[in-house]
Amino acid sequence: MKTRILMAAAVLASCAACSSMGVEPWERDVLARGDMQLTTDPIEAATDDHIYFSKEASSGGRGFGGGGCGCN
Amino acid sequence: MVEHPTQRSVEVKPAGDGWVGHFVAMASPCEVILESADRDWTAQVSAEVAAEAWRIEDKFSRYLEGNIIHRINNAVGSAIEVDEETANLLDFAATLHELSEGRFDITSGVLRDVWRFDGSDRVPHTDSVSATLNRVGWERIAWQRPRLTLQAGMEIDLGGIGKEYAVDRCAGIIRNANCGAGLVNFGGDLAVTGPPERRPAWKVGVEGDTPDAADRLIDLRAGALATSGDARRFLLREGVRYGHILDPTTGWPVKNAPGSVTVAADTCTQAGMLSTLAMLQGSNAEAFLDEEAATYWVRR
Amino acid sequence: MPTLNKKLAAATCALLGTAVVTPVDAQEEPDWDFNTSLLYYGESDDRVQDLSFKSLSRRMFADDKYLSIGLTVDTLTGASPNGAIRQDIPQTFTRPSGNGSYLVAADELPLDDTFHDTRVALTAGWQQPAGEKGLLSVGVSASKEYDYLHTGLNASYAHDFNNRNTTVSAGFAYAKDSIEPVGGAPIPFTEMRDVGDLSNRVGDQDKDVLDFILGVTQVVSRNLLFQVNYSFSRSEGYLNNPYKVLSLVDGVTGDTIPRIPGPEGGPSGIFLYEGRPEERTQHSIYGQAKYNMSGKVLDVSYRYMTDDWEIDSHTIDVRYRWPIGDRSYLEPHLRFYTQTEADFYRLSLDESVALPGYATSDYRMGNFDGTTLGLKYGWKTQNDNEMSVRLEWYTQSGSVPADQIIGNQAGRDNYPDLNAVIAQFSYRF
Repeated sequence: MKTRILMAAAVLASCAACSSMGVEPWERDVLARGDMQLTTDPIEAATDDHIYFSKEASSGGRGFGGGGCGCN
Repeated sequence: MVEHPTQRSVEVKPAGDGWVGHFVAMASPCEVILESADRDWTAQVSAEVAAEAWRIEDKFSRYLEGNIIHRINNAVGSAIEVDEETANLLDFAATLHELSEGRFDITSGVLRDVWRFDGSDRVPHTDSVSATLNRVGWERIAWQRPRLTLQAGMEIDLGGIGKEYAVDRCAGIIRNANCGAGLVNFGGDLAVTGPPERRPAWKVGVEGDTPDAADRLIDLRAGALATSGDARRFLLREGVRYGHILDPTTGWPVKNAPGSVTVAADTCTQAGMLSTLAMLQGSNAEAFLDEEAATYWVRR
Repeated sequence: MPTLNKKLAAATCALLGTAVVTPVDAQEEPDWDFNTSLLYYGESDDRVQDLSFKSLSRRMFADDKYLSIGLTVDTLTGASPNGAIRQDIPQTFTRPSGNGSYLVAADELPLDDTFHDTRVALTAGWQQPAGEKGLLSVGVSASKEYDYLHTGLNASYAHDFNNRNTTVSAGFAYAKDSIEPVGGAPIPFTEMRDVGDLSNRVGDQDKDVLDFILGVTQVVSRNLLFQVNYSFSRSEGYLNNPYKVLSLVDGVTGDTIPRIPGPEGGPSGIFLYEGRPEERTQHSIYGQAKYNMSGKVLDVSYRYMTDDWEIDSHTIDVRYRWPIGDRSYLEPHLRFYTQTEADFYRLSLDESVALPGYATSDYRMGNFDGTTLGLKYGWKTQNDNEMSVRLEWYTQSGSVPADQIIGNQAGRDNYPDLNAVIAQFSYRF
């Protein structure tokens, strides 16, 4: 329970700190690059998610829990 | 003959989540798109842009008495001293004449006298074309900056450069206004001053490669697009289509010219010239553009 | 050589009087974006091998709407540890189907090689803007292998703030899976039976999974952005692995209680089917940052997971993309994972004490570290399509809690380490 509250707080805290950071719209050139996206390679990410879901006890994080297979 | 074909006003209309300035210049619907949310600022910048477009239109219009073009075309053999801007355009035209090996020629406007592209079958007689051809040829002109001398019967027409030049000048106005990214579009010849604020790129539609094909969507983040089009004005006679792009070296339409050529380049002027030069290559248009490493879309 | 174009550019500069011009950036948007890959995953020691084809197709519609369709086909072969411990004598086990038995040599880790399976998975998703600053995504998923069916749906919403510098997103996913184990689901803690005896098997089982995710993405500077996500996942239903057993061992020697197999074959020892709780709640917090350093991109992420099975895990994943020219790149990859065992993880079951409520010897529920080391090379083809190859090694090494080791089990290699190679080729066009 305590860990849960701490986690949610961490996410909300990042929200609060956020309003002062950032760039102007014309400074988004680097951020628009393919290799600066949070998921650069969706196939590689999906592949890894599946491999590690099958071989470990944790899943997800970046997106949904993964799974949907009989491999665990 | 003074002609202001349409009323000169700038209208600011809401579009999406911003404002767009609309006006008519050079016989084209023009728009100025700024991503700033302020209506007044859009109106102010659009007014400046429209003023520049109309200034260029009036200065280089064939229809206005008293402007520099009129004086040049009616000089009947005398030298005319031109201002710096006109001199720059003439230098540019001279360079283009050389680069295109004579296919781009601002003296070719007189061919208008024999070619009327009204969709009819009235193709001119070979003799009348040859006769008119005697009044065509940049080589026949004496251009020594700042003096230009035309032979009697010759005319110059900056219509092939003017619109794209105006687009680039107006893009400069938007940059100097420091209001964030903008797009200026004169009837399909357009330039952007940078990537837009709320999306990764400006989305511009270009006609597909056949009349039935869907539009291609271009993501434009910097630079300009210009289109040369052959499709709408033509003559049709005995099954042969005579497109309206004339080859100044022969006086006849370019054979197998594409329906339209759209080119993306750093500036609208460069894009416009590449698309015009490509059209003049006829069936060789794509090969020419490949050789020049251009980004282009051709519709045949 | 574009000499004419260069001269034209120079002439244009002279005309417009501009000294510096931003180079044009115009890309045609293709209607369809296809992303395909071929993957080989292979574990050493004749364990699991997987060959997988994956494709992700995306089509753009007017007004920034996207349709994505995913297809994955996996073919699995090879053997998996069945949960029993090594012995210094040969052992026999009944196959999950009940139709045969298999022999494991002395001192070898018992592996069941029954599984030759093909799995097909499909996903479909739709994404569209919601208002000026919002993005809505919905999707469905389904997969089928011969003993497992998955169906699911998901939805999420993201909203931009602060000039698109901050994005807050929330999403959920619901899955309804049904498991039809080969031979039927064995009743937990019953013994593995002889060949032909399915008396302790029951019918199909169900599992429901509900996931929630809450996230914030923040642009820090022109070169740096990060994301923090909190996820919650709750599974209910049949969470056992129907094919895994635990060896019932003597409380002093630690050796498996022997058994005479039936006339048609059967287990050579007493092996009890595992049983896990029927609920599991997981929480995780995930953070990722991407940092551009003069064209090289560093991607670092960390995830902490904790659940009500007492499993805690930490994952650190680092990738470094190093461009070579403007058409290719090299990307080394390092991942480090560590987890603590589930509170019902047991190496074996002690015959002299009462059986616990839940138990599993599945190595995936144990205490181990996993390390991945890899290298990826990507390039642009002549048509500006993207290709890449990557080669990675994944090793797991674990340990059994000292208080679970009984008698002769000490000194044996009790925890099945894993060594796998991952090779993938991708083509995006």
